[in-house]
Amino acid sequence: MKSKTNKDFIADAEYGLDSRYNSKKERESEAASLMEARLMRMKNLSKEHIIRAKLMQLKLKMEAYIEQPMYDDQNHFADFLKIYVDTIYSTRNHFAQDINITPIRLSQVINNHRDPKDEFIMKLMIHSEKVFEKICSFKKEIWYQVYFHEKLCDTMSSQEEWRTKLEKDVKLSEAID
Amino acid sequence: MNVIETSSGNSHIVEINPVEDGDYKTLSKSRFFFDWKKEKAYEVYKLQLSRTSEIIGIISLEKIPEEWRVHIRLLTVSKDNRGKEKQYDGIAGNLIAYAARIAVKEYAEYACVSLRPKSQIAQHYIDKYNMKLTGMTLSIELPEILDLINQYDHEK
Repeated sequence: MKSKTNKDFIADAEYGLDSRYNSKKERESEAASLMEARLMRMKNLSKEHIIRAKLMQLKLKMEAYIEQPMYDDQNHFADFLKIYVDTIYSTRNHFAQDINITPIRLSQVINNHRDPKDEFIMKLMIHSEKVFEKICSFKKEIWYQVYFHEKLCDTMSSQEEWRTKLEKDVKLSEAID
Repeated sequence: MNVIETSSGNSHIVEINPVEDGDYKTLSKSRFFFDWKKEKAYEVYKLQLSRTSEIIGIISLEKIPEEWRVHIRLLTVSKDNRGKEKQYDGIAGNLIAYAARIAVKEYAEYACVSLRPKSQIAQHYIDKYNMKLTGMTLSIELPEILDLINQYDHEK
């Protein structure tokens, strides 16, 4: 049987890549040297690289959030907005100035004391479109999707609180057989 | 995400989803190189053509949070896509980029994807995916990991 040449190995490089460790000892030893090398490389990372990574993380988390129902007590829209603003700006007031709203209004939305108005979300869409332009693909409508996804999940998970009261107000005067 | 049909140069939309229990009986060793049932304890993902749902690539991953790392355990393209006669190009790249997305989603600026191929093929991963070699381990981190994600993100 003909043995494999280097060319064959390269042609098959993506067919059957086995990357498992043979032992715990081997894994720990390689992990230690890898971590050491990574920490050295991390020292050379610029602030810009770190901001880019955080913003890409935010985008991926928002995409993951809208893909599945999430019934929890978190304020997802407000939390994502907080990460977005705090990643880019040294103070939240600067962001408020940049989208021409008052710092108080921004604070109320971030702290979930007030729902964002349409105009707020539209300005956020324009702002994030510009920010992400040079970082990665970004669906600007995702802010709306997060906002309404959270509303939907909250509404569906709190049916016990509102359903009994509201059912009394709902009639079918022209019911379908 | 797309793969390129080598005969025509046409682009085909693909999707990556977790392998479900029912999939394992179709993932034969003769077509997908490994016994994938043994990987059930890990995160296993399949790359499928959106049009036909045909599975043309598989990857298994281990998240190592204490090291901000996602380790690729096994990766394969389907047998029809090996070597020079492959039907589609970009299968492994999309799977590695998917692992990179998971790493960045979890660990942001600390994100790392690692693998440890046989020495003969290490150079392929260094050249094609811009990975760095430390001992026996190849890894991709910031800033290259973001470039890799963008390279295989065709929504842009």
